[in-house]
Amino acid sequence: MWRPSIGTLFAILVGVAATLGQNTGYQQDPNWRAPDPAAARPNPLADKPEAAAGGRKLFHRNCVECHGEDGSGLAKKHAADLQLPVVQGQTDGTLFWKITNGNTGRGMPSFSKLPELQRWQLVLYLRTLKATAAPEARPSPN
Amino acid sequence: MSSDATELHLKGYLILKRAIVVFLLLGGGRTCLAQESPYFVTYDHHLEEPGNLEIETYATLGVPRSAQSFYIAPWMETEYGVTARWTAELYLEGQGTAGDNAVFTGWRIENRFRPWKREHWINPVLYVEYESVSEASRIQKEILGGGPDVRSPNSELQPIKNHELEGKLILSSTVRDWNLAGNFITEKNVSRNEGFEFGYAFGFSRPLGTLASGAACRFCRENFIAGVEFYGGLGSTASGVGVRDTAHYVAPVVSWQVSENSSIHFSPAFALNGLGSPMLIRLGYSYEIHGLGGKLAQIFGGRR
Repeated sequence: MWRPSIGTLFAILVGVAATLGQNTGYQQDPNWRAPDPAAARPNPLADKPEAAAGGRKLFHRNCVECHGEDGSGLAKKHAADLQLPVVQGQTDGTLFWKITNGNTGRGMPSFSKLPELQRWQLVLYLRTLKATAAPEARPSPN
Repeated sequence: MSSDATELHLKGYLILKRAIVVFLLLGGGRTCLAQESPYFVTYDHHLEEPGNLEIETYATLGVPRSAQSFYIAPWMETEYGVTARWTAELYLEGQGTAGDNAVFTGWRIENRFRPWKREHWINPVLYVEYESVSEASRIQKEILGGGPDVRSPNSELQPIKNHELEGKLILSSTVRDWNLAGNFITEKNVSRNEGFEFGYAFGFSRPLGTLASGAACRFCRENFIAGVEFYGGLGSTASGVGVRDTAHYVAPVVSWQVSENSSIHFSPAFALNGLGSPMLIRLGYSYEIHGLGGKLAQIFGGRR
């Protein structure tokens, strides 16, 4: 029987990985929508703005690689600009749901491995990126 | 110093310098994901982030019963996030036994696929592995069939090579910051007819702190995850399926996020019956390189 060498198998793996590991281009995904009950969830840390400092640390650990230091999104990663009204206009519950579930088909991983409060801390910090977003943006479910 | 020695010294210096540059480009400048799984045997549904490479070194130390010898079985994993729903790994493993020799026991390639796009109450992951290992393998990444032979000398076990296909159904859930995971394992040795072997692993774990502090800290509770895992064999179609005549262990597990991109893992495993080693001590260190694909592209001038 055919017994592939370790080098052959690894070469195949790396070749396939290089082909599939690339993001083909970021576009808003109209199908990436939080269910209504999830979108309506309030941030339990909303009255603890000091928790945003922890959210900043988490953002730098988990998000900067694709979304950039200021959240504006790295073009080469096709990542969303988190300052945009289309993002900042979403409810806290929607952002929490999107962080939790990811959009794995578009390269955004799920961060459900983070404890729930830490995901809410991330939402809290994302709101601080709103500085350059349009002030008139009203939260919408998705 | 002779001119040959000087040349060798210079070549060594250049190689070292290049290695340092590559290391800094790959991993030195970027912080990485925290919250590594603390399990040694059980898999949960969290895959490697796309483009990330994790290099892990582990060891299983076997405390002997009478007529057994102390052994240490180290292994190295390189884990790469191919996509957000596919992680691939390469294992290299060895083993050294007191009073015996040390041997390279083989390699494994595994792939984990997450079929569902979203988080659900239960999240399945499909695991497929091809391994080329000798009978002397003692890393015990899973206990299958009757468990490994920890009595026979390496001179008898090492020449017996196994080419095996292994599949796992991983079911994992997150409930109020607790991770609950169960693995159902089956393996087929394609080198010889041993039937199908079966095994299981279950675990639960939770971070000690659920709120992140604003300051950088090494000993914060949020940097520790603790839990317990249970694993053992379920026999084989050749010798009979069941929980008898195979090893079973219960193992507290703890992982500590030492820095932004590295963590230490520790687990003492206690045997629940008189088979196998009475105690396994497992140690591990993992280091994560973020965005490997992009960084390699930078080094070689490609496009990412």
